Amino acid sequence: MGGRRIICVGNRYVPRDAAGPHVLEHLARCELPEGVELIDGGLAGLDLLRFVDGAERVVFVDALDTEDQAAGVQVTSPAELSGAAPPAYGHGAGLAYLLAVLPEVCDRPLPPVHVVGVAGPAGARVIRDAADTALRLVQQSAPAARRSSPGCG
Amino acid sequence: MSSSLTTTAADPEAHLAGKVVRERHTLNVPLNRVEGDLAIRVQIEDGVVVDAWSCGTMFRGIENILIGRGALDGLVITPRVCGICSTAHLVAAARALNAISRVEPPPDAVRIQNVALAVEMVQSDVRQTMLMYLPDFANPAYESRPFHETAVHRYAPMKGSSAIESIRWSKRLLEIVAILGGQWPHSSYMVPGGVVTVPSAADLLQCRSLLAGFRRWYERQVLGCPLERWHQVRSRADLDSWLEERPAHRESDLGFFLQVARVLGLEQLGRGHANLLCVGGFPLPPDCAVPCPRPGGAELMPPGFYRRLEQAPFDQTRVEEHVKHSWYVDYPGGRHPSAGETRPYASGDEGGKYSWAKAPRYDGQPAETGPLAELLSMRDPLTLELVAEPGVTAFTRQLARLTRPAVLLPVLETWLAEIPPDATCYVPGARLETGVGIGLTEATRGALGHWVEIAHGRIVSYQIVTPTAWNGSPRDASDVRGPWEEALVGTPVGNPANPVELGHVVRSFDPCLVCTVHALGKGRGAGPWTL
Repeated sequence: MGGRRIICVGNRYVPRDAAGPHVLEHLARCELPEGVELIDGGLAGLDLLRFVDGAERVVFVDALDTEDQAAGVQVTSPAELSGAAPPAYGHGAGLAYLLAVLPEVCDRPLPPVHVVGVAGPAGARVIRDAADTALRLVQQSAPAARRSSPGCG
Repeated sequence: MSSSLTTTAADPEAHLAGKVVRERHTLNVPLNRVEGDLAIRVQIEDGVVVDAWSCGTMFRGIENILIGRGALDGLVITPRVCGICSTAHLVAAARALNAISRVEPPPDAVRIQNVALAVEMVQSDVRQTMLMYLPDFANPAYESRPFHETAVHRYAPMKGSSAIESIRWSKRLLEIVAILGGQWPHSSYMVPGGVVTVPSAADLLQCRSLLAGFRRWYERQVLGCPLERWHQVRSRADLDSWLEERPAHRESDLGFFLQVARVLGLEQLGRGHANLLCVGGFPLPPDCAVPCPRPGGAELMPPGFYRRLEQAPFDQTRVEEHVKHSWYVDYPGGRHPSAGETRPYASGDEGGKYSWAKAPRYDGQPAETGPLAELLSMRDPLTLELVAEPGVTAFTRQLARLTRPAVLLPVLETWLAEIPPDATCYVPGARLETGVGIGLTEATRGALGHWVEIAHGRIVSYQIVTPTAWNGSPRDASDVRGPWEEALVGTPVGNPANPVELGHVVRSFDPCLVCTVHALGKGRGAGPWTL
């Protein structure tokens, strides 16, 4: 399918899991750079695989439940999340499971994948930071002509 | 699988009754691989389950969200009930509104709906088998068994060869739903009067190509033979001959399941009430080349209620929901869904009410639902013989699920071939102003029903009865156990700290409770990051 994708996951009705949808709403008001696609990943988990397979670069945005509860944006990689996957598949298997199986199940070369985690309360500043981080990451290695700063309404 | 364990001394009452209980355990089994929202509690005496309780731990509430919304909103909201069977909810929601709109979707719209629903079933069947059921054969409890090494190689989570291939191929198959419905899951392209998509010749060609690829994989890996050869298996003797016929049969996933099931005695596990319900699935357009398995029928999966092989016609007015043991405000007996209500009530009456699932009953009886009931309803010869002997067990349930794609794949090919590029996919119906509608369909896990009432263009009542509510129901107003509660009774448990046998039973129903909460976590568990 090609393309650079920002996939926001989470549940807007559960406050501690709503960061992804909030970032989605923020970015939906922005003028996205050429070639960047914004996807509402909801709670799809493994069914997001087809948005990764064949993509040029993918950034996931999700709520992050941390021990220290420090609010803020943390960037990590699928490899760092390998210990987060559930021991086995279930209907509730989410992003960590998808990230764990990605190297095995993609039909095409695995694109660079980043995860932007939002820890703690998802206030307006944190959401804006997460959105900016996602945009920066998704444009990495993009041709200069396609890179741009978003204009948000 | 981990469990919490309470061991108690022998029961004095049992002694008085002349029964000597040497050891008693109470297990709380989270059954995480089944579903994060399901907990099973069992009581074990002398290594055998003597009682069971099924607890749905999450309140759904979709019905209440719908009250007061526009008549069409169910088409968008109800597919969110479940990320695994959202197409089935869309089919049921659209079908309920067809009745109010007094409209019949054109034949090709029915074909498109059928294709999407069948694809959803097939992908779920292979994922459930490879990712949820067969991994139990790789459980450490079986380390000393000859089959264990193969089971680990094929079904170990996230690396087993069959597990990985099932993810690859189910992903490709689901692209058919995305082509027809614009997205997967949670599509909303079905409406009263048909579907809002007209697939092009290229779309249909791509769907057929994806289906052909999946069929080749299913034949090669899952069956180990062409579909046509499998369809010749019509009896228990045929099944045994098929298994012995070729190494490819024995080495397939189906062949492996059959051999291990025999070793583990799955034919004797999980008998339950042996009541089966099929509400009907896949209406057949009049000009369709797919025959109805029953003379005069109008659906690929005709409706029916079965007490083992004894068949009774299905009548939706006999469906009731009980809440005596569910966390809802009580009412006496049961209520038909059209008169149902969803008023949460978490009582302090510990043990009396114990699940967010209601207890659906048919004609006052618990009934299980799913592929086994469907194949029985289709009068599949092998299923008829197996339901007679060994009966409704974990083995027959799982065999039906593993081979349901063999029924659906050729039918899918026919439907896709029958849809012309310029298909008529929609006819307008009456305005959705006031009325009552019922949408029934077979979903991935069995009988699904939507009951809706519209007044002045708004939803005034919406009740959904899902397959897992049937299968995983708590006790009813007469304190009769739900289907998988009953199926667990009598299950031997070798090691209460690793009760893998309970997984064989409960997973044969393919439980699916609603999953709505998740977040990435950091700093707990074995790795630096955990869910």
